[in-house]
Amino acid sequence: MSRRGLWIGLSLAVVTAVLLFVLAKGFGRDPHAVPFQLRGKPAPDFTLRRLDTGAPVRLSDLKGKPIVLNFWASWCAPCKMEHPVVTMAARRYGQEYQFFGVVFEDTEENARAFAGNPDPSFPQLIDERSRMAVDYGVTGVPETYFIDAQGILRDKVAFPIDPRTMMDKLAALKQPAGPLSEVVR
Amino acid sequence: MTAWVLGLVLASYAPQQAGSALLDPPREARVQALGKQLRCPMCQGLSIADSGSSAARAQMDKVRELVAAGKSDQEIRDYFTSRYGEWALLEPPAAGMNLLVWLLPVLLLVGGGVAIARTMRRPVSAAPSPAAEPEEKLPPSDDPYLEAVRAELRQ
Repeated sequence: MSRRGLWIGLSLAVVTAVLLFVLAKGFGRDPHAVPFQLRGKPAPDFTLRRLDTGAPVRLSDLKGKPIVLNFWASWCAPCKMEHPVVTMAARRYGQEYQFFGVVFEDTEENARAFAGNPDPSFPQLIDERSRMAVDYGVTGVPETYFIDAQGILRDKVAFPIDPRTMMDKLAALKQPAGPLSEVVR
Repeated sequence: MTAWVLGLVLASYAPQQAGSALLDPPREARVQALGKQLRCPMCQGLSIADSGSSAARAQMDKVRELVAAGKSDQEIRDYFTSRYGEWALLEPPAAGMNLLVWLLPVLLLVGGGVAIARTMRRPVSAAPSPAAEPEEKLPPSDDPYLEAVRAELRQ
C-alpha cells in the first residue's frame, strides 16, 4: 500500500472510531433522563407546612432516623397508582423511617381530597411555589428521595415506586454509604 | 358523560400559578436571558423561559430569587447544574467530551477544504487517446474485410 493510501485509511479509521464512540455514548443513555447530581450530598434543608395541622416541619430537626420524601400531585395519574405503595410502606416501616409526602404544584383542596385530611399514614407537606422541589432537582412527579439518618441524600426514584424497589431502597438506607446505596432500580 | 370526560381531562393538568413578581427591568432582563439558557425538565428541547409548564415556572422563580439575592450568572448556572447536571444547560460548555461536538465539524471542514485544495492544485493529465496507444501487434488475418478495417484505423 502506498504512503498516501495508508494515511487516507488511517484518517478514515480515526474518524469512524470517533463517530462510533460519540454515537455509542449518545445511544447508550436515555436523553430525557435527568442525572441525580445530589447523591451522597447533604439534603438541602427545608421548612415546610403540614397539610393537616399547618405546623412547620424542618429537615434539620429530623436527623437521627432515615427519611423518605415522596413528591406527588393530585393531577398526576401515576401518583394515584403509587400512593398505596408509599402508604403501606409508611404504615409498616413508620417506626424505623420517617415518611413525608410533598405536594407538588397543586392546590391544598385538591391535595386534601387526594390524601385525606388528615392522612393517617404519613404527613403531607405543602411546598409553596415548588421552591424546595427545585432545590432537590425534582423534574416531575412522582419522585421519591431517600435521606439517611445523617441527612445525606442517598438515592432517588423518578418513576412510580413499586413495593420491591421501596423495600430495596429502605434496606439500602440502613447500610453504610457506598456502593450499597446504588441498589438497582 | 361529557362532564365526566371533561373532569378527567381537567384533573390531569397542574393548576397554573403565576410567576413570581418581576424584578426591575435590568435584572429581569438577566432573569430572562438566564432562563433562555436553562432546559425545561418536563419539555422537549424548550428553555424554562419559553415553557409554560409548572416545573419551568418554579425554576424561573428560583432564577429570579437568585438574581435578586445578587448571585452572578455563573453562580446561578452552577446552582442548576449541581442539581440537574450539565443536562440543565441548553448549550453545554465546550469542555471534556462536549469539546468533540464543537471541534469535529471544524476539523471535518478544514480536512475537506484541504482535500479539495489538493485536488484542485494537482495538474490534470491529458487522457491518453486511443491513437496514442502503442499499436498492438495483431496476427495477420485472412479476412480481407478485417484487414481493410485495420488499415483504415492505422491511417
